[in-house]
Amino acid sequence: MTGLTFDWAGVLGGLPLHWLATGFLTTVCVTATGAALATLFAVPVLGLRIGPPGPGRWTAVAFIELFRNTPLLVQLLFWYFVAYGLLPRGWRDWINEDHGWAALPGGVNLATPEFLAATWGLGVFFAAFLAEELRAGLLAVPKGQREAALSQGMGSWAILVHILLPQALGNAWQPLVGQYLNLMKLSSLATGIGLAEVTYQVRQIESYNSHALEAFAAGTLLYLGLSVVMESALLQFGPRRRGAR
Amino acid sequence: MIEFRGVHKRHGDLHVLKGIDLSIARGEVVVVCGPSGSGKSTLIRLINRLETLSEGEIVIDGQATAGWRGRRLQALRTRIGFVFQQFNLYAHLDARSNITLALRKVLGMPAVEADARADELLARVGLADKAGAFPSQLSGGQQQRVAIARALATRPEILLFDEPTSALDPETIGEVLAVMRELAHSGITMLVVTHEMGFARELADRILFIDQGTILESAAPADFFRAPAHPRAQRFLRQLLSPLHEAVE
Repeated sequence: MTGLTFDWAGVLGGLPLHWLATGFLTTVCVTATGAALATLFAVPVLGLRIGPPGPGRWTAVAFIELFRNTPLLVQLLFWYFVAYGLLPRGWRDWINEDHGWAALPGGVNLATPEFLAATWGLGVFFAAFLAEELRAGLLAVPKGQREAALSQGMGSWAILVHILLPQALGNAWQPLVGQYLNLMKLSSLATGIGLAEVTYQVRQIESYNSHALEAFAAGTLLYLGLSVVMESALLQFGPRRRGAR
Repeated sequence: MIEFRGVHKRHGDLHVLKGIDLSIARGEVVVVCGPSGSGKSTLIRLINRLETLSEGEIVIDGQATAGWRGRRLQALRTRIGFVFQQFNLYAHLDARSNITLALRKVLGMPAVEADARADELLARVGLADKAGAFPSQLSGGQQQRVAIARALATRPEILLFDEPTSALDPETIGEVLAVMRELAHSGITMLVVTHEMGFARELADRILFIDQGTILESAAPADFFRAPAHPRAQRFLRQLLSPLHEAVE
């Protein structure tokens, strides 16, 4: 090999192009479902974490510490190789059946053990991070506003929903966007459990025709492009922070 | 209308209020003054239960409120407006929404009606043109006037002020005091913790002087300013009215 010469023909055509396209579609899907699941899980985790001291709060703290302080790759391997095997036989059989409704163009199927383990793993891992970012955003709301709302006769739930959370979201939006971008990028680790996303497909091209340079360059550009689009969309349509007080 | 009966408040070892007995008539304007740490903020925060009693009773309209919780407590709080030193406006809402939030979420008032009420209140505090402004876009005096309008939203019978001008620049104090003067003349019951002796002299029906958790003096402004009975009150007044001439203790 003499220096950096790109030969895109081995990547942008035929089977490799098809692989890249389906890999990209898979990355987008696992990111979207993982992010949705993480957001969904973050709500009760946050609720318990800021709730009264007791078993609820301890559970939330344990959840957060466990998932934030162990490697995501190890967690994915656990969900795929250990936890999946512990599911009831009937569930696994059902997952392994053909599900037309879960099939996307290009042979991408969402009802597979790999996709489900990756979505679940990303969901619980990032729920812990999202909950902590939101909690920091909540703590940044001046305590006087809570007192003002109390003195107007508002209850705890109304205060949380109408005063604290909207401001917490505004305060924490930048770091939250960072977490959603991390989720997208770390979905590449799901290649370790055989999910056919971008990284997996890039390595497949490399072993298929040895166009490693072009394959990795294409993969990098796909991640970069997705990242830029996600970031600008999230910042554009996300809540904005109103100046303090 | 408001009655304190043997009220004590303790924060751990700290004995903040030591046996307060006090009766405030409907429509009375009472100014509460005293050195910092004397318990004057705690005194008014007990009335709308931002603080809980340690001992004694607070009776409002003939009913002891100490055990009230949930909806009953929320209903009590809608009858009492509270204005804070730091304004405490909801930072993510504009002036109008700051006022309408409780109307809609607590009283269940339809949005159109709540908006009309908010605009009427903003006009009353001289801020009709600021309905769409966010707190960060308003001066301290304007924020405090929005906060007063917000406190008035649920048509309270009692207004509590906790040092409403202490966080303001000197040139904006006047606009807030002017709104408070108009309120004092409106017949609403007011308890005002303040060091604005001009306001006290001109508008109070009664002045309470508190030190170390005890009411040392309760007098009409004329008597209080001419000849405060208690030596501690005499010294406080001297320090407040001519701080330069008071020897460092």
